[in-house]
Amino acid sequence: MLVAFFESIKYVGHLLPISFLRVFMGYYYLQQALNKFNGDFLTRPRIADQIAEWLPASHAPNWYKIFVSSQIIPHWQTVAFIIVGLEFAIAVSYIIGYVVRPIALLAVLLCFNMLFFSGPMNEDLFKTFLTIHLIMAWVGAGRCLGFDYYFFKRRRGIWW
Amino acid sequence: MVNVKHFVIFIAVIFLSLFVAVLNKNDDMKLQEAKPVLRVFGYASFTGQWGAGPSLKQIFEKDCDCQVQFIQGSDSGILLQRLKLEGESLGADLVVGLDQFDLQKALAEQKWRELNISDLDVYDEVKPALQNNYFVPFDWGVISFVTRKGEFEKNPENFDDLLSPNLKRKIALQDPRTSSPGMQFLSWVIRAKGEEAGFKYIKKMMEQAHSFSPSWSSAYGLFSKKQAKTALSYVTSPVFHRVEEKNNDYIALEFNEGHPVQFEFAAIPESCRNCELAERFINLMLSDQGQKLIMQKSYMFPVVRNVKEGTVFADIPQFKTLGDFEIPSTQEVERLLKKWSDLRRGDSN
Repeated sequence: MLVAFFESIKYVGHLLPISFLRVFMGYYYLQQALNKFNGDFLTRPRIADQIAEWLPASHAPNWYKIFVSSQIIPHWQTVAFIIVGLEFAIAVSYIIGYVVRPIALLAVLLCFNMLFFSGPMNEDLFKTFLTIHLIMAWVGAGRCLGFDYYFFKRRRGIWW
Repeated sequence: MVNVKHFVIFIAVIFLSLFVAVLNKNDDMKLQEAKPVLRVFGYASFTGQWGAGPSLKQIFEKDCDCQVQFIQGSDSGILLQRLKLEGESLGADLVVGLDQFDLQKALAEQKWRELNISDLDVYDEVKPALQNNYFVPFDWGVISFVTRKGEFEKNPENFDDLLSPNLKRKIALQDPRTSSPGMQFLSWVIRAKGEEAGFKYIKKMMEQAHSFSPSWSSAYGLFSKKQAKTALSYVTSPVFHRVEEKNNDYIALEFNEGHPVQFEFAAIPESCRNCELAERFINLMLSDQGQKLIMQKSYMFPVVRNVKEGTVFADIPQFKTLGDFEIPSTQEVERLLKKWSDLRRGDSN
């Protein structure tokens, strides 16, 4: 598996720049997740406050606003846990290059929601991230300098 | 199917590990709770990373043998709502950031501990705010509209100039129901124009407003992102851009009507658990060191005499203020807010 990890540079070396971007994104998400884990994100209703503050002013469709207000705000603890879990999953997946494609699609989903929760000052950031995750999923960024190459070599298919 | 298994196992392992880590963390926190914890409930601009809160916490924790924890509300207007909703379960030992419009309501809804603030040496402008024994002012600011140089051919000089057609949907305002600067604006207009003419003016302003944001930070964010030409803020806001961004393009607009003054207060709820620590924290906030920190981080004027002298805050031009400091009654504030809400509903229909 380790051989395949480095061998990938030889066979899919054209993806190398993308894999650097992937590792950087992984590192960014790791920092975000650790900050949230070490802070009070999981114990205080920060996400509920954030949603209550920004959602009314966002461009989200009404059905989404209603769903978020009725389901997500009251269950903020579960939502906070899922957000931190997803951020850790994205971080680990991107750094080691394992199951990058499906994880990138989950990251797209997370970014979409954060776009509506985080206010206008973070809008550009999440739009950029959204594009990056889509590209990661599209090119299968885990196949270069990542463990996905090992599985890709043996099984092929759209998962790697 | 084998491929899906990889993904499912990976996600399961991550979430399980996080679950175990959270459980362990909770155990560790229980051990740490042996140290007394001072819980300070404040608005985001105070407790946030860039606010004065974290620096004050650092200084305070050095010799209190305690921990300071912040509970964050997004805007000072929301503090009281949460205090009322969550009550004692919020566990706040100290509330930071109430303004004069909140005081009557705060007194009516909550019991507060008496504070001894009679020997505080404050600026003359601040003396009227020392009218009661429960709430102590720790900073103050003059409300004004802030803009960038070059946004206007001729800068607005009064309320009516804000109704100009080229400002349609270009003014970032705050919702007075949730934001204290928003309430300040409502009161400012009414004091300057009288109630009837004031509400007629506000109806027109609803056409001019980009939006009524729930907090000062969101409204100012719209302005900073150039989605609005001007925003309701403080005369000290341009200093922030000058100091932090080395940008001299921001100016506060002086209006002929005079400007309202906002005071921010700290108070200790009767339900406090570490009341003595809370008092010590207030003393730190009112010390020269604390006042300097609050001034530099919150970009508001200090209340204690001789703190701003020799700093950029001393050079800020003095705007004509509305004069009398008033603490409006809860009924009066609620009546005005109801009228505003009715007007707003009519506007959105």
